[in-house]
Amino acid sequence: MLKTSRRTIVAGAALAAVGWAGSAAAQETVKIGAVYPLSGNSASAGEYSKMAMEVGVDVINNGNAELAKIMPLAKGGGLPGLKGAKIQLIFADNQGTPAAGQNQTLRLITEEKVAAVIGAYQSGITLTASAIAERYGIPFLTPESVAANLTERGFKWFFRTTPVAIDFAKAYSAFLKEQKAAGRKVDSVALVHENTEYGNSVASVIAEVFGKDGLSITQNISYSANSTDVQPQVLQLKEKNPDALIFISYTSDAILYAKTMKELNWKPGIMIADDAGFNDPSFVKTMASSVEGLVNRSAFAGGKPGTVPYLFNELYKKKSGGADLDDVSARGLEGFLVMADAINRAGSTDPAKIRDALKATDLKADQMVPGYDGVKFDDKGQNTLASSLITQMRGGQYLAIWPKDRATAEVILPYKGW
Amino acid sequence: MSPRRILQLGVVVLVLVYPLLAGNSPVYGRLGALVLLAAIGASAWNIVGGYAGQVSVGHAVFFGVGAYSAVVVYTHLGWPPIAGAPLGMAISVGIAAVIGVPTLRLSGHYFSMATIAVAELVRVLSSTSDFLGGAQGLSGPPVPRSVLDLSFISATPYYYIFLAVLVFLLGLTRWIEGARMGFYLRAIKDSERAARSLGVSAGRYKLYAYMLSAAFTALAGSLYLTMFGFIDPESGFGILISVKMLVMAALGGAGQLFGPLVGALILVPLEELSNSLLGGRGAGLTFVVYGAIIVIIARFLPSGLLSLFERRPARRDRAKSAPVAGHAD
Repeated sequence: MLKTSRRTIVAGAALAAVGWAGSAAAQETVKIGAVYPLSGNSASAGEYSKMAMEVGVDVINNGNAELAKIMPLAKGGGLPGLKGAKIQLIFADNQGTPAAGQNQTLRLITEEKVAAVIGAYQSGITLTASAIAERYGIPFLTPESVAANLTERGFKWFFRTTPVAIDFAKAYSAFLKEQKAAGRKVDSVALVHENTEYGNSVASVIAEVFGKDGLSITQNISYSANSTDVQPQVLQLKEKNPDALIFISYTSDAILYAKTMKELNWKPGIMIADDAGFNDPSFVKTMASSVEGLVNRSAFAGGKPGTVPYLFNELYKKKSGGADLDDVSARGLEGFLVMADAINRAGSTDPAKIRDALKATDLKADQMVPGYDGVKFDDKGQNTLASSLITQMRGGQYLAIWPKDRATAEVILPYKGW
Repeated sequence: MSPRRILQLGVVVLVLVYPLLAGNSPVYGRLGALVLLAAIGASAWNIVGGYAGQVSVGHAVFFGVGAYSAVVVYTHLGWPPIAGAPLGMAISVGIAAVIGVPTLRLSGHYFSMATIAVAELVRVLSSTSDFLGGAQGLSGPPVPRSVLDLSFISATPYYYIFLAVLVFLLGLTRWIEGARMGFYLRAIKDSERAARSLGVSAGRYKLYAYMLSAAFTALAGSLYLTMFGFIDPESGFGILISVKMLVMAALGGAGQLFGPLVGALILVPLEELSNSLLGGRGAGLTFVVYGAIIVIIARFLPSGLLSLFERRPARRDRAKSAPVAGHAD
C-alpha cells in the first residue's frame, strides 16, 4: 500500500514536472566513472583532482554565469544535447595498485553502468584500467598519465588529453628559439637530469627534439637524485659555461642544485626546470629567493581575470579551502570537461556514440583550464593540441610567460638567480 | 552419508558451479577468481611459513619473479606470457636456494627480517633495470593474439585455471603432510633443536620447503600477470604482497591445509567490497579494517580461524556421552 501510494506521488510529481519543464528526460542522469588514487601514496593528488572535477560537475549541472559567457556547457541545467540530463561522477579508489584499478573499473562499468571512465593518475593503473574498458567497449580518457606506451596499444576506446614528454620538449625548443630570435645567446645548451625513468626518458626526448630543431646540446649530465653533494656537477657546468641549462630533477636534488650554484657563484643566461622538483611547494618555499627568473613549465598558471582558468580557480578555491588549482588537478578537470563535451555532442549515453564524439572533439584554447592549445585527438587518441605553459619565478611565485597569448607577465632574461 | 560428508560434497559442488551462480555479475565472477589466486599465493607461503614455521615476509620476491618472467618472455621474445611461468618457477627455486642457505640458518624473526631485506633489495634493483621496464614496469599483450595469451573478458576461464592450480597445490601439500617430509617439518616447527637431536636434517628440509613454496608463489605471480597484464616494481615486489600472503594464511590457520583458502575467502571479498562501498569517499578505510583484523586474530585466535572448527568435534564427543536435554538438531 505504502509502495503504491509513494509511486503514485512520484508519478504525479513527474507528470507535474513534465508539464512544467516540458521534458521527462530532464530526470535522467549521465553516469561517468572516475578511478583515482584516494588512498595510498598518491592520495593527495587524487583528492585534489576529485575536488576539481566536482567543481566541473557543479558548473555543468547548476551553471555559472561568468563561465557561461565563454563555455557553452556552463549555462547550467545539465547537458543540452541530452535534454538537460545531469552529470553524476562516480568515484572509485584505485588504492595505488594496478589490480585495484582494474577491479574498480570493471565494477564501474558493469555494476554502476557508467557511460565512460576517466582516470587513473598513475600510468601503470591507467594501463590496466583502460584495458578492461577497451574489452567492454567503454570510452576511457586519461587526463594526466604520461607514459608513452599508453597510446601505442592500438586501443579504439582510449583517449589522452595531457601533454607528454615530447610536448614539453617542443615547448622548450620553441621558447628557446624565440629567445634566440630576440637576440639572446643560445648556442650551447646543457641538460642535467636525475638518472631514473623520469629523468632519463625526458632528457632523451629533449635531446631528440632539440637535435631536429638545430639547438645544440653541448653537455649531458646525469646524476642520482639521492646525491648529498652536487658540487662536481656544478663545477663541470661552470667550466663549460653553457648559455642555457635545463634541469630534470626531483625535490631534494633541486634544492641542492639551487644552493650549490649560489655557493659556487655560477649561473647560466637562461635556466629552465622541468616541473617536478622545482614546482614542489617545499622547493618554492625554501629556494624561491635563490632562483629568481627561473623558467619552468606547468599545465596550469592562473590566468587573467575573466578567463576560464581564472574563473575555475576561483570556484575551486572556495571548495578546497584556499588551495589553487595545480598542474594535476587542472589537467583532471580538463579531462572531465572534454568528456562532458563529447557526451553532450553524442546526445546519447551509447558508448560508441560517445567515442565518435570524442574523436570529433575540437575545443579551442580559450575553453581550456590548463595551458593547452585546445583538444583534438589523433588516431591513437592523443591530444595533438596538448602543450605546456612556460612560467617564470617572480618574487616567490611562478607566472605564465609563454605562449604570449596566455602569458600574465613579460619574459625577463637573463636569469637573475639570487 | 554422514553430515560431514554431505557438507564436504556441498562445498565441492558450490566451488565447481560458482561462476554459474555469479554468471550475471562480472564483478562477483572476478571476485571468485581473485579469491582463488590469493589462495594459491597464501597456500604456497603456507608450506614454508605454516608447516615449517619459517615466517617469510619476503615472498613477494617469488611472486614478482613469476610475474616478471611471464611479461619478459612476452616483451622480449613475443611468447604468450604463461610460457614464462616455468621460467619464473625455476628462477624462484634458484633464488630460494641461494638466499635460503644462509638465511634459513637464522631463527625466528631474524629469518623474517632477512627475507624482507632481500625483497626490498630486489624491488629497488628491478626499478633501475631497463630490461624489466624500470620504474614504469612492463605490460602484457594489450589485446589477446590467441587463446594462449590467456586474456579473457570473462573471469570464468581464470576461475577454473586458478582452481585447477589450487587443487593441485593443495593435493601436493596434503601428500607432503602425510609423507616423511611433513613429519619432519612439523618436528622442526615444534622444536628445531629436538628435531635435530633425533636425526632430522632440519636445514635440508627447511630448504626443500622454501624452494617448493617459492615455485608455487612464482606460479601465482605468472597467473596474476596473465589476468592483469601489467607489472611494476611495487605491484610485483612490494612488501604488501608478502604481507597479504602471510595474513591470509594466518587468518585461516597457518600450517593447516585449508587455512590459507579460508583466509583468502574472508580477506579478498572484504577488501574488494569495502573498497567498492567506501573507497570512493577516499578515507582508506579498507586498510583500517585490514589492520584491525590482524590485531584481533593475533590477540584472540593466534592459530587461525580453522582452529575454531578443530576444537568443536572434541566438544561434541563430550556432549554426546553426556545426557542431552532439549537437544534439537
